[in-house]
Amino acid sequence: MPLVQTTRAGLEALLRVRQLDRTLSSLPPLDPYDEYAVGATGVTTLDAIVGGGFPRGQLSEITGARSSGRASLVLRLLASATARGELVALVDALDMLDVESASAAGVALDRLLWIRGDVVAHPGLCHDINPRAMERAIRALSLVLTAGHFGLVVFDAGEAPARALARLPFTTWLRLQRMVEGCQTICVLVGSEPMARSAAGITVQVRRAEGRAEGRAEGRGQRGEGMAEGRERGTRGATFSGRSFEGFEIEARVVRASARTREDASAALVTRAVPHV
Amino acid sequence: MSLVDIAQEFSPRYERHRDDLVSIDVRGLERLLGSPRAIAYELRREAADRGVRVHVAVAGTRMAALVLALVRPGVTVVDRGEEAVALAPVPIGVLERVLEQTDDHDDQPQSSQSSQRNLGQKSSASSSSAPRQARGIPSLPRDAVSVLQQWGIRTLGELAALPAADLAARLGPQGLVCQAVARGEDLGPLVPTLADERFESSIELEWPIEGFEPLSFVLTRLLEPISTRLERRDCGAAVLHVFLRLVTGDQHARRLELPAPLRDVRTLRALALIDLESHPPPAAIDAVTVVIDPTPGRVLQHTLFARGSTGSPRPERVEGRAHPTPDALSTLLARLGALVGQDRIGAPATVDSYRPGAFAMKPFAIDHDLDNHRRDRRARRESFVEDSAISASSAVNVVAALRRCRQPVPARVVVAGGRPVRVTTDRPSYAGGAVLASAGPWRTSGNWWKQSSVASRQSVVGVRNQSAVDGRPATVGAELSTGNGRLSTAWDRDEWDVALADEAVYRIFHDRETDGWCIDAIVD
Repeated sequence: MPLVQTTRAGLEALLRVRQLDRTLSSLPPLDPYDEYAVGATGVTTLDAIVGGGFPRGQLSEITGARSSGRASLVLRLLASATARGELVALVDALDMLDVESASAAGVALDRLLWIRGDVVAHPGLCHDINPRAMERAIRALSLVLTAGHFGLVVFDAGEAPARALARLPFTTWLRLQRMVEGCQTICVLVGSEPMARSAAGITVQVRRAEGRAEGRAEGRGQRGEGMAEGRERGTRGATFSGRSFEGFEIEARVVRASARTREDASAALVTRAVPHV
Repeated sequence: MSLVDIAQEFSPRYERHRDDLVSIDVRGLERLLGSPRAIAYELRREAADRGVRVHVAVAGTRMAALVLALVRPGVTVVDRGEEAVALAPVPIGVLERVLEQTDDHDDQPQSSQSSQRNLGQKSSASSSSAPRQARGIPSLPRDAVSVLQQWGIRTLGELAALPAADLAARLGPQGLVCQAVARGEDLGPLVPTLADERFESSIELEWPIEGFEPLSFVLTRLLEPISTRLERRDCGAAVLHVFLRLVTGDQHARRLELPAPLRDVRTLRALALIDLESHPPPAAIDAVTVVIDPTPGRVLQHTLFARGSTGSPRPERVEGRAHPTPDALSTLLARLGALVGQDRIGAPATVDSYRPGAFAMKPFAIDHDLDNHRRDRRARRESFVEDSAISASSAVNVVAALRRCRQPVPARVVVAGGRPVRVTTDRPSYAGGAVLASAGPWRTSGNWWKQSSVASRQSVVGVRNQSAVDGRPATVGAELSTGNGRLSTAWDRDEWDVALADEAVYRIFHDRETDGWCIDAIVD
């Protein structure tokens, strides 16, 4: 028995020397202010639930249904990354980026490499178009990740037909995961359903919230005026006021996370619409 | 045949002042051709054989030879140390002629001019691209020459004899320049004109090759020596030409304009191969020629702490972040261009237009100005701090983004009370449904004043639906493009933001010209 104890003590000491005495559950939390570990979104409530920001060198995901706020969150990520001085890339599989929205969100457009895919929502009789276009988009994503040194790379397939995504081999995501590991790049996949993520990545599911965020009318300037009257109900957080669409409320929930980030944490965000010209 | 070609055959040290005025350093030619006079006659004979009539002067200084070649026909040889004596009887007006020579040059064709040769036994000066000023010739003051003539100075000898201090006191430095020319003194060393180096390499293949793998090895072999020469000249490749002679006798030529000066063999080879993959030769390759248009290389000063392309994954905290190198970015953009098309990659840009969804594509910059960006970054960071403070208090910090349908989705819209109440489409992915809430209309129109755009609008077809509600027919809109490339077409529409029963929020519009409805964007 003493021999066993001695051996165990020696083993533990050896593990400590080798720094192998930590388990996934005992990993130290990432420094939320270390921009070389995480990429903050700039939204305090969201950063709080994702451990300071989206982790670098990992594959993360933003999922949600149509009009759930995925694109809004992506533009926020792009804006905060370009504000940090990083180059960012957007592989836009369906070529749906609205440049005006991106500019309004604060994205430094000259630092955004925009790769416009040609996946079509309705291929008609040309059934082979989408799989080939999706493969091209994945290849473009691979090239960008291989080049390295982009602070944020987003693969946006939010409106891609599910069949086009389903035809991709699962090894695709493993390969992408291996490409991004060890880099300073945040790779974010955007889709309606979870596709893949690396071990230390996070999956944020967004949806429109029913309730109202507190203090929404503050700091909104003239667009906040008159919101109390004429607001439509039953639109799942979307706010309409008279002739203008004001925005909608988003609930972001961490559905899958690494040991460092707490799952099922959620944050409420409110979006504001770009005014009509 | 130009004077430069003749000068190149006699000495590598020559300086081209103009097309018709060249200085040649003939030191060392004595053992080959004989005395200076023999050299001069040999030059004249060589030029005459090629149909060029030249005047040749050989002197100990470049300036003396230059002036004598201008004023004396035929061959003039001056012994070393006798330059001032030889120049003494030359009229003072030659100073003006030196100036006139530079001015007249642009007006007279080369063939009509008598060529003049200046054989300096010492060195002389070099090249600039100034069009009106001959290279290596100092800018002689016009006013000084006229003043000298007013003083009664008639020859260069009289000018050379004037006291230099008094001359400088009256005419300033320009007077001393005139006197130096009169004495035949060089005002600067000869800077040899370097022949334009051609960065070209070619190879004749023993067996025709097909496919890009063997071509890759050939390109590497051709590019390596060119890259070495570019490095020695501190140049980079601005344009890469690849000429492939095919077995059919045709030539397959490709021209790549590089976004940044490059000389890395692997990068150049990768770019050439990517381009050839997009534009493959139609037959097997018989011979390969690579030509590079050089440009001065880039001068880069990396920050001490920024992580390089092969740095550690976790660098020290630094002010700026590492970016992809221009080489890597160039290769990436070329690969992406070959994959998805050059017109589908770049940096987005807003345009000065009210057209919904209008945008422009700019080439993605290779070199980002870090200094400027640091200043911008500081300002942005301050604004983000403010935004974060707002977000912490009110959670309002996100812009409701649109997803644009580059090809608007035709929709059936039922209108009641002047507002859309139901939106449906024929496409399964846009189920549509009852309108739960709507905002609008926002009327926007433009380019209606352009005749061509009106004509293009007439090609747009709207299909009327059978049903009509509230006096306004529901229609199926035609395919209207709001994307890039259609900026000149007219538009006239009423936009609505609608929340549908399928829990999505859309931006739809009613095209007033065709009376059709379309889904233009998804609020996401």
